[in-house]
Amino acid sequence: MNVPRYLLRVQCIGCAPIFFGTGGQQVALFARAHLQPSAKPNIYGQILRVFHRSAVCPTKGGYQGDYETALKEKEEEKANSLITQDDFFERMGGDFKSKNEFLQILDAFIAKDVRRRGHVDFIYAALKKMPEFGVQYDIAVYNKLLEVFPKEVFVPRNYIQKMFNHFPRQQECGVQVLEQMSTYGVMPNVETKVILAEVFGLQSHPVKKLRRIMYWFPKFKHVSPYPVPHVLPSDPLEIAKFSLTRIAADLDAKITIYQYPSTDLTETGEEVTCPYIVGIQSPDQHSLLAKHNPSRPVFVEGPFNLWLRKKCVHYYLLRADPIPAEEKVEEEIDPELFSPHQSLFFPRLLNLDLELDLGDDYSFDVEDVENDLVYAMCMVGKGDEVTLSKWISGLQESCPVLGQIPTVFRIQSMNSSSDVHEKPEHSEPNQNEEKEPERSKGVQ
Amino acid sequence: MSLNKICALSRPVRLGRSLFTARVPQTRDYLHHFQSRRGIRSSSRCLAYAKDLFLGKINKDEVFPYPEISNEELDELKQLVQPVEKFFNESVDSEKIDRQAVISDETMRGLKELGLFGIQIPEEYGGLGLSNTMYARLGEITALDGSIAVTLAAHQAIGLKGILLFGNDAQKEKYLPKLATGEHIAAFCLTEPGSGSDAGSIQTRATLTEDGKHFLLNGTKFWISNGGLADIMTVFARTEVVDKDGKKKDKITAFIVERAFGGVISGKPEDKLGIRGSNTCEVAFEDTKVPIENVIGEVGGGFKVAMNILNNGRFSMGSAGAGVIKKLIGLTAEYAGSRKQFNKRLSEFGMIQDKFATMTIYAYVMESMAYLTAGMMDRPGLPDCSLEAAMVKIFSSEGSWICVSEALQILGGLGFTKNYPYERYLRDCRILQIFEGTNEILRMFVALTGMQYAGNILTGKIKEMKKGNIAAFVELMSQKMMNSMRTPDLGLTGTNWKSSDVIFFPQESAKMLESNVFNFGLTVESLLSRYGKTIVDEQLVLKNVADVLINMYAMTAVLSRSTRSICIGLRNHDHEILIANTFCNDAHFKNNFMMTQLRRDVPENDGNSIKKIAQEVLAKRSYICSSPLERTF
Repeated sequence: MNVPRYLLRVQCIGCAPIFFGTGGQQVALFARAHLQPSAKPNIYGQILRVFHRSAVCPTKGGYQGDYETALKEKEEEKANSLITQDDFFERMGGDFKSKNEFLQILDAFIAKDVRRRGHVDFIYAALKKMPEFGVQYDIAVYNKLLEVFPKEVFVPRNYIQKMFNHFPRQQECGVQVLEQMSTYGVMPNVETKVILAEVFGLQSHPVKKLRRIMYWFPKFKHVSPYPVPHVLPSDPLEIAKFSLTRIAADLDAKITIYQYPSTDLTETGEEVTCPYIVGIQSPDQHSLLAKHNPSRPVFVEGPFNLWLRKKCVHYYLLRADPIPAEEKVEEEIDPELFSPHQSLFFPRLLNLDLELDLGDDYSFDVEDVENDLVYAMCMVGKGDEVTLSKWISGLQESCPVLGQIPTVFRIQSMNSSSDVHEKPEHSEPNQNEEKEPERSKGVQ
Repeated sequence: MSLNKICALSRPVRLGRSLFTARVPQTRDYLHHFQSRRGIRSSSRCLAYAKDLFLGKINKDEVFPYPEISNEELDELKQLVQPVEKFFNESVDSEKIDRQAVISDETMRGLKELGLFGIQIPEEYGGLGLSNTMYARLGEITALDGSIAVTLAAHQAIGLKGILLFGNDAQKEKYLPKLATGEHIAAFCLTEPGSGSDAGSIQTRATLTEDGKHFLLNGTKFWISNGGLADIMTVFARTEVVDKDGKKKDKITAFIVERAFGGVISGKPEDKLGIRGSNTCEVAFEDTKVPIENVIGEVGGGFKVAMNILNNGRFSMGSAGAGVIKKLIGLTAEYAGSRKQFNKRLSEFGMIQDKFATMTIYAYVMESMAYLTAGMMDRPGLPDCSLEAAMVKIFSSEGSWICVSEALQILGGLGFTKNYPYERYLRDCRILQIFEGTNEILRMFVALTGMQYAGNILTGKIKEMKKGNIAAFVELMSQKMMNSMRTPDLGLTGTNWKSSDVIFFPQESAKMLESNVFNFGLTVESLLSRYGKTIVDEQLVLKNVADVLINMYAMTAVLSRSTRSICIGLRNHDHEILIANTFCNDAHFKNNFMMTQLRRDVPENDGNSIKKIAQEVLAKRSYICSSPLERTF
């Protein structure tokens, strides 16, 4: 609960002037929100409570419109005021944008004016520009940015100052820096805390925000059981391997590289590129494929998307429709092996007319939905049929039965991604695709 | 009335007989009789001591009096034991066997001369023709060298047992004489690369040749003890059998395969942790031609053969373990009595004494269990002692491991060196928990077999309850009330004494056994009503059930034996009583704890957490906790 409430509170710091402007309306609103029965509450007191109100408030009817317009105005205002600082970045940054340049700009700003005039606007501008310079994940840069605040000036000196919102605009700005850090998942360090304490004092909103970050971030740091590294490997082959192991839910699944990427020059001088083909198949999938009824087709489908942080990769499936009920062969239980009196080492089943007691039946009643059979997955450098049929012929080496199974290619072109969504998933392959089924036979 | 009178009259007679005369001596005559016709099992007597425990009953007649052997047999045994003991003490160099990983020819010749390769083969075929009890006694001595014990056991406890139990006269005539003298060595080939304890997945195949006179055997067997030495092998393979409906089915068949048939290839002996002198290797069969006369039992009946061989071979591990521990007690006591630390002898320290007590108790319990089971098996009518034998195996294999480890600990660093035999014993006895059915598998066997037995009887009652039959419910509740008010009386103690009752003399311990058995019956009933047939999948529950059962059987054996010792005034019987009481007290508490765990919704019942820990680790296939030095910020 703490975080959303706090975030909201932070927004409210920004909204404070609005509330002053439309006081009357707000009073009514808060009376509702806090279920306070008194008809004429103290206006002053209510406004102070802005910082402690519940998360329900912003969604309340009449207030919503005002809030949004105010926000819009504010943004426009901000945009206006930031022009100069943006310019500053454009001027100083030049064409080449990197961490060094960014730090130089910060140094230049600090050195320019001992009073640091306009530092709040500057910090807002810097925050905006950080992704552009590629420093949005760098804690050192954030610390440096916080150094832009003048030290000790905003620290409240007495309890009255502490009680009220001392230097709200600066505090809000400090909170915004931390906010951006948490957006990008940057964990503050001790230096951050020291700087904030020096700038705003220990009782300030930014330090409180920092403490809340330090409470929650470590708890969530390892919450994902399937972490994706911050820096992905640059080699597409490595990415393919990583993604395939990530999708395959089986630790036994084996990765096979059917073709390494290479570029050849033919005699005529044409460039022939061989795209990489990386496939994955688990032993279970392998044995399932070996048991596949050769009169039923298998489908090569794709591309499907897999997101790795900001990167989207595509993979292809070799799948088949679920086995119809009439073709399923139930394995017979040999009474000699399983029955209580005949089994060699221990009985595999008991011959009793008693079921699991209701009180001990913890299984959910989930309807068994049969899914398609997925026999293998692959990622390729180039998603055309030629490449994919190379994959199929590679699979065929370990599983010869694939040679007798008609293989249908249902590939969406990568560019017209809209097609993927328009086409119903389970439609029968259209005529163009029907031409292909015997392809893999030829490969054999 | 008249019936009662007859009963009353007959009681003292029965009591007298059971207390002061041995029952087994009378059976000696039967023994010869049935040993010659072992293959016939029409009059199979169903022994059910362990199974009855599942119903909360103590079937006293089965375990009391403690089995005895006749004076003549005892004399014969003593004459036999003496030279064997001498041979093992003087001529067997276990250290050398362990180092060279082979038993020397000279030693083998000595073993053969002593007749140790044909202990249980009837005299008419040139063996010693000893009973199970006497076999167990010899096992105590042969166990002093693990490698020899395993070689002998692989030869006669499993290797040739098939011929002995199920072979026809021609097969016996042909093979047993040479096996008895040790001229031929036998092996038992069941395990395969793809099937360890799961014998159902046997891949070795025997196909009938066109003339119908031979089988062609193809396949590979793994971890075959004596695989490199054996001339005669009991091999299990799949054969195609036409069943009643005319359908073709794969069934397991047992064959006697001679190495001379050709196509038998043994691999390199495995380099093992312990029992290094025994020969364990892979055996491959390539188109081995086996004549159709060499099928043991009938075609397709191999499972029964394998089951009986394995189920009956296990009991001797109890006496073997006890033999080793008794020897180690002697060795370590010598050391503890002479070594001084802090101006005190080691033997004066409480913690060292604790170790000696542990070893003594284990040895005593193992001995008691082994001989009780052997005695049961020696009774006429081919009793089914598979449950009891499995329990002996589990208890003694784990007990040996604990005791050998304790013995080594008494010597401290010295025990860890190769200068002393302790490390070898430790390595050797590790295998006991693994072979002839791993302890886990046997626990499942013990628990499930009992559950099936109890289930057959209790199903009706439980179903009535579940239907909401008020009469059944009221009966149950009143029974529960009654049970909570009185201490259970199953006739072992004198509280409700009838003249026909046998009385275990350590009374307090007998009461403990009674209360354990009684509660166990209730526990089993509640488990059956909770899980029904799905209990097959509740391995943690079954493990506890098996452990309780093993403890109860051990208590029974100890009580029965110590009672006999008091009655006939054996030397140091007061020591036995002390051991019995100590063990029973300990086992009683352990049982109570385990039965509490089996109850629903008690805090001790942490089976689910244990499963979850394992599942989480296994999903990642590694230890998943972060290092305590890790930081997140």
